[in-house]
Amino acid sequence: MGTTPIVTDAALVAAVADGDMTALRELYERHGAWLHARLIRRCNDHEVVVEVVQDTFVALWKDARRFRHDGEVGAWLWGIAFRRMVSRLRSRRDVVLVPDWDVSPAQQQLMPSAEDQVLLGVEYGDLAAGLRRLSPEFRSVVQAVVLDGLTTKEAGRLLGVRQNTVKTRLHRAKAQLRTALTEPQEGWR
Amino acid sequence: MTTGIQGWHAHPALLSSYVAGDLDAVAGASIEQHVSRCETCRAAVGQLLEPQVLEQTWTGIRDAVERPALPFPLRLARRCGLSEPTAVLLASAASLRGAWLVGAFLSLSFATLAAYASGGTALAPFLLAAPLAPVLGVAAAYGPRQDPLEALIATAPYGRTRLILLRTIGVLASVLPVTVLLGLAVPGPPWLAAAWLGPALALVPVLLALAGFVGPRTAATVVSLVWSGVVLGSTRAFAPTWPVEAAQQGVYLGLAVAACAVIAIRAGTDRQPGVAL
Amino acid sequence: MSAGTSTVELTGVSKRYGRTRALAGVDIAFDRGVTGLLGPNGAGKTTLLRIVATSIGADSGEVRLLGRDPHRSHADVTAVRRELGYLPQELGYPSDMTAFGFVEYVAVLKEWNDREARSQEVRRVLDAAGLADQASLRISRLSGGQRRRVGLAQALLGDPRLVVLDEPTTGLDPAQRADLRRTLSALGHRSTVLLSTHQTEDVAALCERVVVLAGGTVRFDGAVTDLVATAVGQVWLADEPGDDALVSWRTGTGRHHVVGGVRPVGADLAEPTLEDAYLLMLGPDAQRVHTPS
Repeated sequence: MGTTPIVTDAALVAAVADGDMTALRELYERHGAWLHARLIRRCNDHEVVVEVVQDTFVALWKDARRFRHDGEVGAWLWGIAFRRMVSRLRSRRDVVLVPDWDVSPAQQQLMPSAEDQVLLGVEYGDLAAGLRRLSPEFRSVVQAVVLDGLTTKEAGRLLGVRQNTVKTRLHRAKAQLRTALTEPQEGWR
Repeated sequence: MTTGIQGWHAHPALLSSYVAGDLDAVAGASIEQHVSRCETCRAAVGQLLEPQVLEQTWTGIRDAVERPALPFPLRLARRCGLSEPTAVLLASAASLRGAWLVGAFLSLSFATLAAYASGGTALAPFLLAAPLAPVLGVAAAYGPRQDPLEALIATAPYGRTRLILLRTIGVLASVLPVTVLLGLAVPGPPWLAAAWLGPALALVPVLLALAGFVGPRTAATVVSLVWSGVVLGSTRAFAPTWPVEAAQQGVYLGLAVAACAVIAIRAGTDRQPGVAL
Repeated sequence: MSAGTSTVELTGVSKRYGRTRALAGVDIAFDRGVTGLLGPNGAGKTTLLRIVATSIGADSGEVRLLGRDPHRSHADVTAVRRELGYLPQELGYPSDMTAFGFVEYVAVLKEWNDREARSQEVRRVLDAAGLADQASLRISRLSGGQRRRVGLAQALLGDPRLVVLDEPTTGLDPAQRADLRRTLSALGHRSTVLLSTHQTEDVAALCERVVVLAGGTVRFDGAVTDLVATAVGQVWLADEPGDDALVSWRTGTGRHHVVGGVRPVGADLAEPTLEDAYLLMLGPDAQRVHTPS
């Protein structure tokens, strides 16, 4: 692991569509862990996360043919996984599916080092600072739609607001952030 | 996409913080966006999670993929307490699949509708369909004439006879209750709702007994033709309810007993391996 | 159950299908190890195997399997079947089952009721048959040789004491045949393995002991090497085929491989193969079905 893969993810998905179980295993080796980690950040319930990851790869096995090779396999898998998680936890109120954007003083100490500030700069330009200045309801739609890839309709269902509300907030969030953007990021339309 | 800096990867400590949940939302979001696109960092995250958890998750995936889910009617039955090995055996019986049961339900519904709409005079479709549905279901569950697995079923400890009986019970359990409910909607004397059970429970053993001699296909054809003849023939000369009246029920009882005796005798006296129903 | 007797004992066993006599008074016993049944089509190999696999009964004679009489009672035959693995000659596969699903179905028929243990066993036998990567594929998508190996896998469930394989090598290439040899030889340490084939190469590759059947009777029963030894001195390499040779054919080197008959002029004695011995043993009977390799 960690070496340059000889086979691309897209090729593996095509193999899975053909019924190749070892390709499925390889895709799991590559993506299972980070999906798990990302899901755990949304929901503390370990069992649910394991089940969602399992469902995701079983869905991949069944629907591999539907993958349009026009994007990253990772993002596609996250889309399946997160949607599954959302629908699973719809009835549960003890779970927060959107990470808390308020930075507590304790967490401030764990802020990344200067070297890692580069990371933030790399991913979002000055977006990071702009994101922090966003009001809470704007942050949640940005998280749901932009970062987690839900549609505005799905985000509305998740956050318990109407689709139009989501669209408006998104629009306003973009306006607020446009000034902070140095260049267009993936996911923005 | 990442701005021009190629080959940038997250520092291991940063990733550890992320996995541990110590990063704030923005930094976490940044990591997530990066990791979803970077295979090196994905692999690094993989190293940070407990291998046991990952392996266990994989086991669940593999099990779900290798063993396709049971058909819907059987999933229901499982929840009602059907044992798991039995469900696996029934899963391969065609007439316990959703499609077959839906077909049977639709035919019976139409027959009931006909009886209802005619105010009780056109009973023939219902009296024809209600006993034949389980008969045809059992024949279909018997397996193809040359069941691909015939040789293996015949030489397995479970036993071919037992398997056939299991499938018969499975079909009866899935078809009879629905038919009983539909029977309640058929206009006529109150005993009519259950009277069709008499021929139904007679024709099934007859089918099984006959199938032991000529195979399920032929036996099903014979039984269907004879019963159709009885029902349709009787509409000319007798009342619509004639086929299920008391006198006839006695005949059916006799037939059922005779058929069961034939089955029992065949299974008992012929001790050659490989001979069964 | 009596100890010290062979796993399989047939005494005076006969079987008739209508006017045809498939087996005529066969006396034979099998024990641990791998035995090959060799013979032309119609020799009675499949009939014999079906009797041993409790698929059919014998018309006359005595059959004892694992110390029991399968004709005696249902309990006896069921006890035998619990320790039996059988690969029939013609095995069909429901096309919509996966390889795993198929073997699992048979496992349930063999009374593997615990789901976890059953899954592990199914995976074990699929692996032993070289199909670990094909477990989730639908059988309709497998090649002929792979399907045959699925059939082999189910015969290995539970490590049975009696394994009956009817033509297990159909559709297998030489590499797969080598795999099969390893699997069977390991199995032969603990179990009685009976396989049938009409190809001498299979017997030479897979078996220690060989039984030659023709016309419903046993013509030879012994070690493979002993059968080969019966042909010593009757096989030559010659420039011209002999007149009264049993069979001869041109080899790649341009000379003729001559079996039987009088030694041709200028011929060199050749090392006999199992095939030569088989041909000599069966004489004209064998000629009809022999295909030179």
